[in-house]
Amino acid sequence: MTKKRKYVGQRMTRNEDPRLLTGKALFVDDVDLPGMLHAAFLRSDYAHARLRSIDVSAARQRPGVVAVYTAEEMGKDWQHGPPLVIPPPTLKGVLFHTRTQVPLVKDKVRISGEPLAVVIATSRYIAEDALDDIVIDVEPLGAVIDLEKALEPGAPLVHDDLGSNLAAHLIQDKGDYEAAKAKADLVILRRIVIDRGAAGAMENRGLVTSWDSKSQQLTIWDTTQAPIPVRNGLAAMFGLSANQVRVIAPFVGGGFGPKIMMYYPEEMVLTWATLQLGRPIKWIEDRRENFLAMNQERGQIHDAEIALERDGRILGMSHAFLHDTGAYDPYGLTVPLNTQSHAMSAYDVPNYHSELKVVFTNRPIVSPVRGAGRPQGIFLMERLLDLAAKELGIDPLEIRRRNLIPPDAFPYEHKIIDQAFAPLIFDSGNYQDTLDKAAAMIGYEKFVKKDQPRLRAEGKHVGIGIVAFVETTGVGPYEGARVTIETSGKVSAATGVGTQGQGHFTSFAQIIADQVGVDPRDVRLVSGDTSQFHWGTGTFASRGAVVAANAVHAAAAAVRGKILKLASKVLNAPEEELELADGRVRVAGTRDQSISLGELAVRANPLRGAVEPGTEPGLEATAYFGPQYGATANGSHAMILEVDPETMMVDVKRYVAVEDCGTVLNPLILEGQVHGGLALGLGNSYYEKLVYDENGQLLNASLADYLIPSATEVPRIEVGHEETPSPLNPLGTKGAGEAGTIPVPALFAQALENALYDHDLEILEMPLSPNRLFELLNDGRQK
Amino acid sequence: MRIEGEYLFGGPRQAVWELVRDPDVLAMALPGTQSLQQVSESEYEGTMNVRVGPVAGVFAGRIVISDEVPPESLTLTVEGKGAPGFATGVGHVRLSEQGDGTTLMNYDGEVQIGGKLASVGQRLIDTASRSIIGQGLESLNGVLLARMEAGVKGVEVEYTPPSETQFARGVARDMAKEMFASPQARWALVAIVAAVAMVIGFVLGRQRCCETSPMDKCADLTGNE
Repeated sequence: MTKKRKYVGQRMTRNEDPRLLTGKALFVDDVDLPGMLHAAFLRSDYAHARLRSIDVSAARQRPGVVAVYTAEEMGKDWQHGPPLVIPPPTLKGVLFHTRTQVPLVKDKVRISGEPLAVVIATSRYIAEDALDDIVIDVEPLGAVIDLEKALEPGAPLVHDDLGSNLAAHLIQDKGDYEAAKAKADLVILRRIVIDRGAAGAMENRGLVTSWDSKSQQLTIWDTTQAPIPVRNGLAAMFGLSANQVRVIAPFVGGGFGPKIMMYYPEEMVLTWATLQLGRPIKWIEDRRENFLAMNQERGQIHDAEIALERDGRILGMSHAFLHDTGAYDPYGLTVPLNTQSHAMSAYDVPNYHSELKVVFTNRPIVSPVRGAGRPQGIFLMERLLDLAAKELGIDPLEIRRRNLIPPDAFPYEHKIIDQAFAPLIFDSGNYQDTLDKAAAMIGYEKFVKKDQPRLRAEGKHVGIGIVAFVETTGVGPYEGARVTIETSGKVSAATGVGTQGQGHFTSFAQIIADQVGVDPRDVRLVSGDTSQFHWGTGTFASRGAVVAANAVHAAAAAVRGKILKLASKVLNAPEEELELADGRVRVAGTRDQSISLGELAVRANPLRGAVEPGTEPGLEATAYFGPQYGATANGSHAMILEVDPETMMVDVKRYVAVEDCGTVLNPLILEGQVHGGLALGLGNSYYEKLVYDENGQLLNASLADYLIPSATEVPRIEVGHEETPSPLNPLGTKGAGEAGTIPVPALFAQALENALYDHDLEILEMPLSPNRLFELLNDGRQK
Repeated sequence: MRIEGEYLFGGPRQAVWELVRDPDVLAMALPGTQSLQQVSESEYEGTMNVRVGPVAGVFAGRIVISDEVPPESLTLTVEGKGAPGFATGVGHVRLSEQGDGTTLMNYDGEVQIGGKLASVGQRLIDTASRSIIGQGLESLNGVLLARMEAGVKGVEVEYTPPSETQFARGVARDMAKEMFASPQARWALVAIVAAVAMVIGFVLGRQRCCETSPMDKCADLTGNE
């Protein structure tokens, strides 16, 4: 049912940019309400300690302090956050212990940065000063940091009632790995270690909670990626009707995953506090708090092996891994399940065995950060393939070609389950074309045969790398949208997902414009305001362009239907002869037989007279879309880099990213997503690592010490497109939000090893750093 | 984090030992100490103002002295916490006569740091702690020499310890010295400052306004109207 598309697929500049660039966009910190108070949180310095007592009496005396609350004051309202994702009982043999976060610490501190008390005062300065007045008495306990030591008997326990630090245990099997291994010509075993990184959004978290006791309305501005679940949950938590609660996620300066969490302690506490005080309360997180208290991700230790035939064909892969979930696990198994779903990557792997153990530690909670466990899986497979290629004497590009899932094998069923607890199925794709395109764009053959030998003879350490990867996207359950033709002839639309830079205001406008024949600049979209649309889940897992976009498409198509039906009556012509263009409905071939959409909208909403039974007023429709399962995108990245073996500084000479995310709604926005994801991927490779000491103290909780790639590190990126539309939704889209991030560490490792060919270097960890590379080079021998 | 070092005192070992075991002297030697009381034979409690880079605040702490072998050695166990975070550590101190009337103090220990000190002050901790200890020992030595001189002259001890500001300045100076340890780095710093000053001067001198300026008041930035 694809009609000719005028706007979808066009490289349009964004509707929202003029506002963002001239300071006319609302962010949470712009909200300023009469009588507004400010909050500051007292956070624990210790990562693991028993709270013996907390004395806030001195803080209460300070002038300007309106209230100080601890867990005790919250009384019956103090409760653990709800678990977001519990493994269903249908999954056999899964061990899972649910332990969720608390609003304020009651007896035991489990994370350095966990809030102990909150001060509400007339200014943030006074509130922070009052924090120093609070006297706490804690008994420090040994911190659980090392994943392997955490599981040894006698280790301190993060949750005393559990008897161990094992949060979950799960085994997945495809085929029979042991049998495959027995037939293999080569088996490679390695230990691969991946460490934590932060999301590092430009805007930290922020909240304004406001309870108006006269109108009995609770309004919350929140930098959340999921305003609807936050509204539903907080309403239920505090005994309010969901219709009394309005959650607004305005413009948000970057989400990247951790801003979707139900609920951060601050969300719970400040909602409760405004209900007590009847006044608005604002809290804007500072950068150090963000490092300590916002969710993180990536910590895993893998013992992995791969079994191959002499020609490089993979017979099977197996890995046992420990996944660090932090002190609590509200997000269930989402991240490690993604790792399992991507450990076979884009390849035809007939046998697979994976044993997952999730471990509690005294570190911040782990929930998805752009990539959400996928980068780890891809890193595993790509590293093992590269090592196999070296041993078998096969070119890295060639070994990948030999193993890719062929284009005629779709839908490809993996026989394991994914993060949605549904069977992992790749719906469509042409992985060969994607890989070939990346190779062609970077000039792989020419570089390896001509340029590299010449540069090496000059003494330069230049390396090339190329990797293939998949990305599961577009998961359900569903999203919804409403489209309305206004009497002005312009269009307004609303959807439940929030926007943190994904360009929804433009890409969704393009979809609507194609359906109803207006200019996308005349479409005004509201996202992330529960009073405008209150059914849906949120922005995560690269699903906006799939699930929300298709809901927008369905709603716009329904409105188109209404337009045609009414216009047919008004213009006295059959629907098939009507055209929608430039904001008007015209009888094909004529010039005068037409009516503007605005006038039609007026006619659709009469002030007098009778309407036919079953008519809905106006030209408006609401529609929902839920996919059968998540569409799988794929891609291939390649890079050429030069490394100085004395300073360890890396210079990326060229970077090629080829992306197949099905139908492209707006290539400019897609490229923006790839660029942004890549910057994080580069950080995950060589610059960003959260360093914890053995007491659970974060040693680099500032941007001076936690290195986020800047303009001098991020290279020029050449983006290529392939399009295999997904059969799972009418638009044929697949997600692309995380694609830029996922393959980068694997690619970086390959290219770096290739550059340092004269050293005995195996990169089995991420992230690296210049220091760490120096250590690795000096441990190894020069060949 | 390991801490170790040595310091040469200008007096005999017994005198140094007595200083180290005197809470009033210790309180004076480390400016920023707001109070230091001996609560038992080998235990002290006190509060101290701490400043390390951007992190500042009051620490409340306990010091326990153990394994005393006067006047040779002792072990110090320190526990402190406050707004800047917490610090716990164990240190061993050894005094040895040098034969020429001076005493060499050797110290080594392990410190665990947490809170703001660890997360924001991490890179500065090493240098700052060395400087604080070093300046403290210098102060102690000052007291020691003043006492010895007073003993010789038969008069009251006259010694003014450095003020908190002087102390903090000393720490900052030590940290800067370590950061710009190499002469090249120091020259680079001077060159950068000079270049920036030149650019600012150039821009100010060239600045024109009136027709091109959106401002109502027409003033060039050198202050002339």
